[in-house]
Amino acid sequence: MARISFHDEIARNKRSSLLLVVLISAILFALVYILVYILVPEFTVLTLPLSVGLIVLYSCGSYNHGDSIVLSATNARLAEGREYQYLRDTVEGLSIAAGIPSPKVYVMENKEMNAFATGKDPEHASVAVTTGLIKGTDRLELEGVVAHEISHIRNRDILFMTLVAVLVGLAAIVSHLILRSFRYGGVRRRRRGKRGGGLEVAVLAVGFILAIFAPIVVRLVQFAVSRRREYLADSSAVEITRYPDGLASALEKMMKKNQGKMDVSEAVSHLFFVDPKHSALDTIYATHPPIEERVRRLRAM
Amino acid sequence: MDLATGLAIGGIVFIAAVFVLVLIYYYNRIRVLSNRIEEAWAQIDVQLKRRYDLVPNLVETVKGYAKHEREIFEKVSEARERMVSGTREGRMEASNEMTRTLRTLFAVAENYPQLKASENFKLLQEQLEGIESKIAYARQYYNSSVLTYNNVITTIPGMWFAGSREKNAFLEIPEEEREAVKVEF
Repeated sequence: MARISFHDEIARNKRSSLLLVVLISAILFALVYILVYILVPEFTVLTLPLSVGLIVLYSCGSYNHGDSIVLSATNARLAEGREYQYLRDTVEGLSIAAGIPSPKVYVMENKEMNAFATGKDPEHASVAVTTGLIKGTDRLELEGVVAHEISHIRNRDILFMTLVAVLVGLAAIVSHLILRSFRYGGVRRRRRGKRGGGLEVAVLAVGFILAIFAPIVVRLVQFAVSRRREYLADSSAVEITRYPDGLASALEKMMKKNQGKMDVSEAVSHLFFVDPKHSALDTIYATHPPIEERVRRLRAM
Repeated sequence: MDLATGLAIGGIVFIAAVFVLVLIYYYNRIRVLSNRIEEAWAQIDVQLKRRYDLVPNLVETVKGYAKHEREIFEKVSEARERMVSGTREGRMEASNEMTRTLRTLFAVAENYPQLKASENFKLLQEQLEGIESKIAYARQYYNSSVLTYNNVITTIPGMWFAGSREKNAFLEIPEEEREAVKVEF
């Protein structure tokens, strides 16, 4: 039965990825359109196909280069040299056990214990871990964490999660631009005098609302998709290592020692093994299930 | 042709079509699963060959410091040869033997401070230990592929399409490895 559910998960992930691209493209299209309408109302017709083209370009770009974007946004560098031989061996061994090609291995210079996986498919995948994780865990704990990331690759979570990361980054930039243009555009319009009627006000209002809510909606999407994935990756990791306590004790260490102060963008936080940053909004927006609950489920296995 | 005959013919064609589709599905599924076992074995094979290539370097290095451990060297070279030829079970047995002998060798090395301090020796030890764990993982993948395959060809409806295919054998996990996890924790 385990096999069937994991193939289901792959199909589900491919579907979600497509749906996400369609959905977020629609939102972004609306945002870009409104941005253009506010800034250069004279060229609305011309800029319409242009913005669609940009979105297509962006989606293809994030499909093919999403992993490089994410890796450079997190300052990850290739784990080369003998220093990381053990890490590379662990990753290679666990990917053999999971039946996928060996992913590229990256390290992030950071005291916090954390890790993530990215890429578009198992043939083009990368795993990144922090130096803190290498130093702070023993063999069984490191294997547990790496197996969790390998599961994300095998279940095809990485494509979906990487697409979300890149699109969230874009949405943040666009809505930021809109909010700014409101400030400047508003001043200019007042100087020019009244123009247009109720329609313009309505469009502007919708634009304003979208600009404020889009990032929140996107964050909620992140939140909704991540919990199930994390639990599933935890249990798949145990399927690979056959040792739930390794992963559980790694989680407990992170709970105790991580300060929650990793300097990474909001857009990539859902990729990480445990939430890299704690904030006041944690309970509403948390992309990760509570560590206590993950540990409880693992100990019960 | 009246309606009843038409329905009957339609029904037969439909059932035949469904049967053919199911046949194709199971034929392909059994093939895919059996290929996965071959692929899993290829993974083990790669690691065994890498170990085969590395072991002479290790032996040479150790000989430089500890000439009179001849008994171990002989055991190592004997297991090394058996590791790359013969049946799968035989090769895995040789590999397990190699694992045990290498452990003895590394334990013996503790008695030679200069050997232990040698960079070359440390590097080889790390590499061989890496390969050892990869063999264990590859064997796990092999066994789980065999399990899936065996399940399909021995349960209904897979067994109806499996023909004369035999169950594949698991690769035995050596006693000491079964307990290894508990001992280390």
